[in-house]
Amino acid sequence: MTRRAGVFVCHCGTNIAATVDVKRVAAELARDAGVVFSNDYVYMCSDPGQQSVIDAIREHNLDSVVISCCSPNLHEKTFREASSQGGLNPFQCEIANIREQCAWVHKDRDEATTKAVKITRSAVERARRNQPLTPIGLPVTRKVMVIGGGIAGIQSALDLANAGLDVVLVEKQPTIGGHMIQLSETFPTLDCSQCILSPKMVEVSKHPKITLMTSSEVTSVSGFVGNFKIKVHTKAQYVDPDKCKLCDDCTAVCPVVVPNEYDVGLNDRRAIFIPFAQAIPASYYLDPESCLGLNPVVCGKCANVCEADAIDYDAKPKDSEIDVGAIVVATGFDLYAKDKMAEYGGGKYPDVLDGIQFERMCSASGPTGGQVLRPSDHEEPKTVVFVQCSGSRDPAQHCVYCSKICCMYTAKHATLYKHHVPNGRAYVFYIDIRSGGKGYEEFVQRAMERDGVIYLRGRVSKIYQSKGKLKVLGVDTLAGKNVEIDADMVVLAQAMVPSKGTTEVAKALKIGRDKDGFLAEAHPKLRPVESVTGGIFLTGAAQAPKDIPETVCQASAAASKVIALLSKPELEHSPVVARVRESHCTGCEMCVDVCPFEAITLVEGKAHVNEVLCEGCGTCVGTCVRAAIDVKNVTQLQVFEMLEACMGGE
Amino acid sequence: MIPVEDIRARAKDLLQSGKVRAVLGYRRSTAGLLAEPAFMTTADETAALVLDPTCVGNLALYLVNEKKRMKHARQSDKRPLGIVAKGCDSRAITVLLQENHIRRDEVIVLGVSCETGGMIDTRKLNKALRGKGATSAHFEGEGGVRVSYVGGGTILPGKDVLADRCLECAKSYPLDADFFFGEKVDERPYGPRFAAVSAIAEKGSEERSAFWDAHFERCIRCYACRAVCPMCYCDECVVDSTNFIVGPTTSADEKADRVRWINRSATPSENAMYHMVRAMHLAGRCIDCGECERVCPVNIPLRLLNTMLEREALEMFQYTPGIDAEQPSLISSFRDGDPNDFVR
Amino acid sequence: MQDAAAAKHDAQEFEPKVVAFLCKWCSSAGSDLAGVSRLKYPANAVPIQVMCSGSVSPIYILSAFNKGADGVLVSGCHPGDCHYLKGNYYARRRIFLVQKLLQFIGVEPDRFRMSWVSAAEGVKYAEVITDFVNDLKALGPQTKLKAKR
Repeated sequence: MTRRAGVFVCHCGTNIAATVDVKRVAAELARDAGVVFSNDYVYMCSDPGQQSVIDAIREHNLDSVVISCCSPNLHEKTFREASSQGGLNPFQCEIANIREQCAWVHKDRDEATTKAVKITRSAVERARRNQPLTPIGLPVTRKVMVIGGGIAGIQSALDLANAGLDVVLVEKQPTIGGHMIQLSETFPTLDCSQCILSPKMVEVSKHPKITLMTSSEVTSVSGFVGNFKIKVHTKAQYVDPDKCKLCDDCTAVCPVVVPNEYDVGLNDRRAIFIPFAQAIPASYYLDPESCLGLNPVVCGKCANVCEADAIDYDAKPKDSEIDVGAIVVATGFDLYAKDKMAEYGGGKYPDVLDGIQFERMCSASGPTGGQVLRPSDHEEPKTVVFVQCSGSRDPAQHCVYCSKICCMYTAKHATLYKHHVPNGRAYVFYIDIRSGGKGYEEFVQRAMERDGVIYLRGRVSKIYQSKGKLKVLGVDTLAGKNVEIDADMVVLAQAMVPSKGTTEVAKALKIGRDKDGFLAEAHPKLRPVESVTGGIFLTGAAQAPKDIPETVCQASAAASKVIALLSKPELEHSPVVARVRESHCTGCEMCVDVCPFEAITLVEGKAHVNEVLCEGCGTCVGTCVRAAIDVKNVTQLQVFEMLEACMGGE
Repeated sequence: MIPVEDIRARAKDLLQSGKVRAVLGYRRSTAGLLAEPAFMTTADETAALVLDPTCVGNLALYLVNEKKRMKHARQSDKRPLGIVAKGCDSRAITVLLQENHIRRDEVIVLGVSCETGGMIDTRKLNKALRGKGATSAHFEGEGGVRVSYVGGGTILPGKDVLADRCLECAKSYPLDADFFFGEKVDERPYGPRFAAVSAIAEKGSEERSAFWDAHFERCIRCYACRAVCPMCYCDECVVDSTNFIVGPTTSADEKADRVRWINRSATPSENAMYHMVRAMHLAGRCIDCGECERVCPVNIPLRLLNTMLEREALEMFQYTPGIDAEQPSLISSFRDGDPNDFVR
Repeated sequence: MQDAAAAKHDAQEFEPKVVAFLCKWCSSAGSDLAGVSRLKYPANAVPIQVMCSGSVSPIYILSAFNKGADGVLVSGCHPGDCHYLKGNYYARRRIFLVQKLLQFIGVEPDRFRMSWVSAAEGVKYAEVITDFVNDLKALGPQTKLKAKR
């Protein structure tokens, strides 16, 4: 226990001083045993304020310091740094929060001051018993895993690899490209999505620093920042990408016909196929689910016809364990299923499309070769209704949130439709137009004014088939009347939801998800690309709905965070970790059971803490009935003394 | 009927064959009615082994004590210990196994079913006999106890003289035994479990408060409850002021920094603290042998505190202590569906 | 009659002493937000920040009463939101038992409370404290576990 504590009470201008009598706080603390210096100052966090801490530590030979000011989330670092300059161990400085938790929330000056004294005194009791600690150094693996091969994952992987780090890019599908490669043209400039993405995909495949693992999924993750161990399961690769010559002979003979996922069911594919011409790895892919049996006795046509001998029915799935220092999660989004929109036909009507289906239809490489045609009869639709917020902003039945990109892509869809069918009529139902972004508002205005898209402000209540048309019942709230449109085709701007498998990835990585299922960032404003778990970063639509420029920004941001993290040869881990009092430990293993980080094991009958895994949460402390474990600098003795300080004084 | 001869024979055999270094059982006491624990190391001694309603003590306690003794013993005989275990004793052994305090291969359990009987509560017996001093007690038929006293004898119904814990017994036979004696009886002719707790819980808050105030006030902090409890095996008890670091480098300052969670003085508040901390520390670990209550010199109904938590554990968390050595303990586990309504 | 009047007067004057164990990540942050939002609530509760509600040992709670607290609050992240993934689930079970035990020995149920307050629930934190202090005012001082010194 230290004997020469110093107390510094901040006025925070009038933020604290208006409600708390800071002079009285300083004076009362000055009378406490073990406090040899107590002062107040208008802005402790200012340069002269910090300097006064440094000077006082030196002049009065202080051995612990308490700053009574704002929340430790704001200036704990500042004052620990200052204490360190004064010659103290940074962990001998504690913050007493008398602003957010006192001055700002109370009116009565006397009561607030009394409470501020208690808070400060309690911090002093804690600080006096703090041990000097040094951060724990950890070696790091300078290798990164990027999970998800959409634009987010591709951008992160390229940035990381270009910075000289080894990257493993894991993609569930047989090819990278994600949803972006399915798009026809991109707003607001209408440049072709494939034209801008495929060079990046090629770069990934050619980059010496990037190892690409397609048809692969992360099954489990252990370890911690700087030292993760990841298990990856790779499905059997029946077509060897290195041997495949892309001759298309196999597809020609394959007798199986199933809907093509890449074209969202708008056309068909064979059991052996190439997802699209620019697929990376550039190889055909045999889908074991639809193949007649991977067996020459049953079919075997593709293997017979393959001159390159690239097809091997006996290929086995592979499990690999990969050590990496950091992980970037870019698992992307899916569209909210049309089936769930019972009011819009529940996915039953072939001419009610979702956004991605319409993208495929507009794409030159798509099922219709870039022509807008009704799926049901391949006629050119003359009236098309676009429904925004389909599934979004609907707390009663669907998703609560705004999917953010639909206003823009609907404007794009309507524009593209008008380009394809200049004499057609395009209606857009919207609640609000949210077109924040460079060139976005102009784009929407162009759709309305130049391309003559008819915007109706209101929701669509029902869509049903009637006499070869789709009856769209909606409301135009600006005109104040109900609207009924006989449409040839309807495009629903479905909400974005976290991609299928996000739950499993989050579980494997032990990172949280928000109420809507998107991956949870560590702080919504200040740490938007970090997960709460050190060394795991988030990017793209897996974190929240966002468009391509934002995704690319975030992907590069995540990459730069990783680069910064892995730029040092050693990482620092907080030394505020659990410590076992061996004399009291009976080896009952209750702490082992409760530890969320598997940081405790039994070694020779006593609990043993792996300090690198321990996050200092103290769940073990709350569980141990033998008082045999404590978290450093939040010990039971410290809590006891803090309680004493909080309750004392009367 | 519990076959005492069979238990003796098995104990004798274990000792004769050298499979165990000793057998823990009961024998007649030289003082008083209740049987005393016996640490039998020779085959001959097993002739004195008894099992009747006077075998109230929880022998699992002696496993704990023996472990402490062995730690400092000069020679260590690694052979297992035989132990006669009733249902409750066996549950205690299971908790000790669960907490790695003993290993399964360190004990050979001679499990005994209490069948429809149980152990007597001497206070109840004295009351039933109106002051006549009992000299022996034996099981008699369905739930009866045959009692002899100087100048006579009588048969008393079990519900009048058996300990509360036996009347409310969770399982009157061991689930984990190497040898088993008696019949497994699940339907016993007594009242429901937790009857005593329910009676108190139904009272109003103020009445309960007064009830416990009156009891805690009498506590003399002799710690008999702690000494007799097989689960209170910690080397240093939290109640006796704890301090984190004690080593060669421990400074005088640090030694002064002992956490005095509870003062030693026997005042009502400190007594209440002591008993509550003890109850919390036994939550999910107490197997209701009722020994704490039996040994209390001032008759505090200590069993109530523990069984209250046992009831909550069972009803709210479907947790029964002492039935599975592999399960995580009550407080080191949770379910997503645990009660949440009490949280604001 | 006079006594009753005096007692009533006392009840009005009585300012309960409250200890609030707040987890660092949710409840303490929520309480910070209450401050940033300049919400007002009674000054009776002194916060003690802990890393996780799971680290609150039952003995902390009993000891707070022993030191003279009239009420004790433990507040953590909502189920599923724990920064350490599951600390609050262990806390919930443990605290349920402490609460039952306190009630069993006759401590008024309103003296001990647990709440889930997220970092975004400044308003809820202010409400929890306000309600708690009001309920405690009605109960008067806690004497059962308070050490006489």
